[in-house]
Parts: sequence; structure tokens; C-alpha cells
Amino acid sequence: MLKLPNLNIGKISLLVAIMTWLALLFVDITRLFGNLNQMESGIAPEISYILEILFFIVVYLFFNYSIQKSENNNFIDLIWRGTTTGLVATGISIIISIFYYLLGDSRLASDPLLRNVFYHIDFAFVTLFLVSCTLLWKHLILYQRTKRVVQQWQIFEVGLLISMFFVFFNRNTLDYSFLFGLAVLVIFGASLAVNLKWIPYLTFKEKWKSILFLVFIQFSAAYLFIKVLSYSEENSIYLNLTDNLFLLSLFTFVFIYATFSFLVTLFNLPTSSVFEQKLIEAINFQRLSQSIKPGQNENQVLDILMDSCMSAAYVDAAWLEQKENDGESSIIHQRYLSNEEQIDLQKLIESSKPFSDFKWNDKLQDNKTYTGKINDLKYKSVMMVPLTVNKNTIGRIFLLKEVKDGFNKEMLNIISTFVGQACISVENYRLLNEALKNERYKEELLIAQRVQRSLLPSELHHDDTFEIHGFSEAADEVGGDYYETQRLGEAEFAVIIGDVSGKGTSAAFNMSQMKGVFHSLVQLNPSPKEFLVKANTALSHCLEKNHFITTSYFIINTNKKSIRYARAGHCPTLFYDAEKNDSAYLNIDGLGLGILRNSSFEKYIQEKEVFFKKEDILVLFTDGIVEAKNEQAEEFGYERLKIVLTKNHKRPAAEIQQNIINQVYHFIGSNSLPDDDYSLLVIKFNS
Amino acid sequence: MLKIETTQETNYHLLQLIGEVDASNSVELDEAIVDLIEQNVQNILIDGTKLDYISSAGLGVFMSYIEDFEEKNITLVIFGLNEKVFQVFKILGLDQLINIKSKKIEAVQEIE
Repeated sequence: MLKLPNLNIGKISLLVAIMTWLALLFVDITRLFGNLNQMESGIAPEISYILEILFFIVVYLFFNYSIQKSENNNFIDLIWRGTTTGLVATGISIIISIFYYLLGDSRLASDPLLRNVFYHIDFAFVTLFLVSCTLLWKHLILYQRTKRVVQQWQIFEVGLLISMFFVFFNRNTLDYSFLFGLAVLVIFGASLAVNLKWIPYLTFKEKWKSILFLVFIQFSAAYLFIKVLSYSEENSIYLNLTDNLFLLSLFTFVFIYATFSFLVTLFNLPTSSVFEQKLIEAINFQRLSQSIKPGQNENQVLDILMDSCMSAAYVDAAWLEQKENDGESSIIHQRYLSNEEQIDLQKLIESSKPFSDFKWNDKLQDNKTYTGKINDLKYKSVMMVPLTVNKNTIGRIFLLKEVKDGFNKEMLNIISTFVGQACISVENYRLLNEALKNERYKEELLIAQRVQRSLLPSELHHDDTFEIHGFSEAADEVGGDYYETQRLGEAEFAVIIGDVSGKGTSAAFNMSQMKGVFHSLVQLNPSPKEFLVKANTALSHCLEKNHFITTSYFIINTNKKSIRYARAGHCPTLFYDAEKNDSAYLNIDGLGLGILRNSSFEKYIQEKEVFFKKEDILVLFTDGIVEAKNEQAEEFGYERLKIVLTKNHKRPAAEIQQNIINQVYHFIGSNSLPDDDYSLLVIKFNS
Repeated sequence: MLKIETTQETNYHLLQLIGEVDASNSVELDEAIVDLIEQNVQNILIDGTKLDYISSAGLGVFMSYIEDFEEKNITLVIFGLNEKVFQVFKILGLDQLINIKSKKIEAVQEIE
């Protein structure tokens, strides 16, 4: 397959330009030679014109391509390119003049052929200079492209193209139509020359450089223009190439734009520091707003903040004071001050109180700045900005200047913005850390939840004479409700239900202690009262002062059909009597475990016994059930529980349990979340 | 929400509890009582007429000072509890350890 070689437009156009120029030179020399020798060479001037136009176009294409290729170059480099072409063209032109000056009146000096060759060289370099500058101006004019400017430029280019062909019409003589065309293009070029938006982006130093370069370009353009005019004044016998509408339009355009740029840059010099300052502020702002990256800390943001504030207000000295957790303040950043100076100044500020409005605890500190005077030998004005994170003042920045009233409104604004942004960064950083920590806690809680779930029995001990069914749900991840069973003998079972005061994690820990106490004591086969007294003694050593556990303990004997029970502050147990077809709460006194931590506890505990028959039901529960509230803050209460049980007495234990829970949930409504732990144990006797 | 109003009478201090005592604000109740103990107050009356609810955490506060009060010979009387709140005290057995009266006059008589 035929593979096209990688065409290099730059090189090709350069080559074509040189060949065109050589052709032009050859044609003109031949014609001139013919004229001198009174021979009709038969070469019409149109051929020269066509070659000239071709030369213009190819040079234009060449520079257009080479400027586009160096798109990344900065303005100074671009202007420098224009300047060098200008200086080279001028230099060559001057060398030619010197050459002729040295020749004096020799024969060679008046040789028209040699003169014509030099004229062509001048013509070529003038064209190169003008076209390269024009395209350079194009680049600058279109720096901030708008549709309007781009269109305007395109029209201008079309105008230039037409101007190249104008030569056929007037043969490079200055007549009115020529002047008219020139005027149109000059006005158009001047209107384009107001697009000088690139200038403010130059730094102070770059502005000076560009002023220098522009002067060179102006000089080159002026010199070459005069030179070109001098050629046409000589009105010699050879073909005039330079009184061309295209070239003259470019001359004026290049000169006008260079002059405009020169003047605007010159007048921009005094304000350039302001623009540079704004640019630095914008960059600082961006640095501050980037949230703190991993591996960095708040300190680095505060460091950037210090630098930003200092450069924004031309501050002479500054420090940043951070409030520690214990209320003390420490200096974490300090600029252009020794420690002693800083301490002295701080004392001075504290004693003279320029910021008496400021209070550390004020919650509305956002975007507030304070300025004041101080009576120091060196520093005359001071500014203070509080740093607020999450409505708390975490520190203060002090900025000092050697002049009085050194802080103007713009400085206050920008500093306040900087501080605000830095505070947001710090706040985000802290929130992120907190979120990470919370995430860890959540995971730990999930583990705790799994452990705690495993503390509640999955199988409840029983025999054929009774069914037993339990349910427990915690309001938080972990809860403080507890129930368990244990087989004591052939026909004897221990059942316990308990509720630990408080909620959540602390309750869960105490609940696991209760489980330990139960498993230890149940081995001794104590009576219900003995169990509670011993449990109270045991728990007295491990419960916190204001924590207690309520519990009910039952021993069910299926031979004797008896239930012996005792209650330690736990909500009373509901008993359904099948014979009477009615439910009632077992009435018995008893004090919660851990309330009295001495031997007198025993006095407050009773023990009772009831006998059960077939179909009787025992419902053990925790206070979450009866205290469950609906949207009207009404409690589910003991009465409703009783009615639900009586109504459902015919069902098996599991269904009774399910019905009670359903009723409770129905009562509280779907909108409210349970705010306490619910536990329920239903025992139904079958024989 | 809980609001605690402390007033000093001639021979006792009156703590009025308004609202609900639960896990989130039981610390406030605790602080109020500690405050009185630190002032070496001898008689404390708790007005529970406007107490709508007390959770186990709130009961824990009262419970934790029973032995302290006995040691320091401080008399604590609660009065005016509504039926529901009183039941909560009663079920836990605190009514046997804390002097609970229905009327303020009776409570004041306890001190004298």
C-alpha cells in the first residue's frame, strides 16, 4: 500500500516561498535585462504580480503554521519573535545601504541589475517581517476569543487577500482608489487593535520587556517603511513591488497595533502590581479551598492562611494563636517577629485592649474582623481575625503594620474571605476525621450487638407440660433487657427476666453481668428470695452507683404445678387464670437490685407461690412494653396488656407473644421508633 | 425536656421538677442535688406535681443518694407525684426507701 510521507507544512511552505521568490527575481531580472538592452523580453508585469501574490500567500501560510505550532509560548516569546524578524530585516536593509555607501560613485553602484537584486532581498525581508508581525498580532488579538472578534479578524483577512490582487487594478501606483482601499484597511485594522486583553496578564518585569520589544518593532516598521518609500521615489526602471496595497496596509496595521500595545502596557505599569496581587490572591484562595489532603494537617492550611493574609495586606509582622482544649492559647505560627517581641506585643494588645468587643465564647464570630491602633515604637496598626470552626473560636490571627490605619476595606474583605475559606477547610478536615471515627464505632457496635444477641438464649428450657416463647428487641444497637431459663431438676425450671437501668452500651454491659450472676447462683438452687438477695450482694460490687437492675425470678415445678416467685423492682408479672377466664398482675413487693447495697435489702424482698392449672398463662415482660407511647404520648399501659392476653388466651404461646408485640407496634404507630427495649416471655401450661 | 427550679424556704430547699426526667437530662437532676448537698442543706423537698415522666436513669439519681442522705442525716421528701410516676417509684420499691407524700403540707410536716 502506498504510504503518504508525513508532510511538513512548515518546511514545504518555506521551500515554496524561497522558490517563488527566486522565480520572481529571475523574471524581474530577465525583464530588466531586456529593457536595458532594448530587447523585448515579452514578460508581462502580470507574471511578476502573480508570483508576488503567491509569495505573500505562502509566507502567510508559513507563519500561520509556525505560530500555531508554538501555541504554548508566552506573550514575551511571541513578541520577541516579531522583534527579531524586524531587527533582521532592518539590519539587512542597513547593510545594503552601507554597502552602497561604500561603493560610492563606482560603476557597480549604479548597476541596475545589482540594485534590483538587493531590492528583491529587501522586499522579501519586509514581507517576512510584516506577515510574521501581523500573525503575531492576530494571536494576541484573539487571545480572549469572542465570536465577534473572530469574525472581525476573518473579514480583515479577506480584506488583505483582496488587497493583494489590487495590484492588477492600479499597477502599484498611488491613486485615489489605492488611498481609499488603504483607508478602509487601516480603519479596520485600528478597530481590531483595541483588543489588548493579554496585557494585564504580564508581570511587571514582562511589561518592561514587552515595551522594549514593541519599541524595536515600531522602529523596524518605521525604518523599513521609509526605506520602501525611498525605493519608490527613485522611480527607477524596474518593476515596483513594494507600493503594494497589501504591504502598506500591513505596515500601518503592525505599526498601529505596536503603538497601541506600547501605550497601554506603559500605562498599565503602575497598576500591574495590583493585578499581580489579585492573581496571587486567587491562587492562594484556591490553595486554601483545596481540602486538606491525607498526610497533611490543619497546621499546613493555617500556614498557607498566614502567608495569604500577609501578602494580601502587605503586613509587616504576624502571628497565629490557637486556643488549646484547656483554655490556654499557644502561638503556632509567627512571622518576622522574635519570641520576645511577640510576647511584648501580645501584652501590649491585652493591656490597651483595641479589640474589647471580642469574646472567645461569642457564637457569631463568622466573618468578623477587628482592627485597631497600638502604641508600639515600630508597629502602629493591628488587625485581628478570629478563626471559627463549627461556631467555636479556635484561634486568632494577629496582623501588624508599621503604618497607621494600614488596613483598607479591600484588605479586610479579602482577609476575611481567606480566613473563612481556611476555616471551612479545617472544619471539613475535622468532620472527615470524625466520620471515620464514627464509622469505626459503628462497626464496634455491630460486634457488640452480635455478642449481645448471643447472650439471649435461643432455646428456652421446658418440658411437655408447658410451652415457652421469648422475644426481645433493643431500641439501640445493644440493649439492657435480659431473660433466661435453666432446668433445675426433673420437673423444676428457673426462669428469670431482667431490665438494666439506662440504655445502650452501659446497659448491655450490666446485662452481661446479670447473666453471669444468674448462671453462678442458679447452680446453688436457691429459692427465689435467696437468689435475689445473693444477686443484690454480688451486683452491689459491680454496678455503678446510680445503676440498678430490676428482675423477677420464678421457679416452676411441673409436678407440684406451682410457681414460686420473687420480684426485685421489676414490673409485675401478668397471670391468666383459665378457670376465671381473667388476667391479673401478681402482687408482690420487692426492691430493685443495687438500690440498697447492704444486708437490709433482704427486708424488702418477698416470696410468694401460685399454683397453675391447665391453660393458665404467665406473661413476663419489661417496662418497655407497658411504657410504649403512641403519637399522643399515651402509654400502652398495664390495662391494654391484660386485655390483649385475655383475648388471645386460646392461642399457643408463640402466637400470644406475636399478638402482643403486634398490638404494641400497632399502638405506637408506624411513624414512631421504639425508644426503649422490649422483651416478652410467654409461658402457657398445657396440663 | 426538664426544668428544675430551686427555691430556698425557711427550713428547707424546694426542688421543683417540671417535665420529664430521662437518660438525656438525669445529669441535670444529679447536679441540682449535688449542689444542695454541697451547701450542707439538711432538708430537701422535691415537688413532683409537674413531673410527667421519670425513666430508670432518673430513678437511678434518687437511688444513688439514699445512702448518702442517711449518712449525712439529710431528709428528702418527695410530694405531689402523679399516679403514673408514683407507680414507677412503687414498682421499683423506692417508695419503701424514700419518703413520698401526696401533699406539700404533709411533706413539710415530715421535716418538722
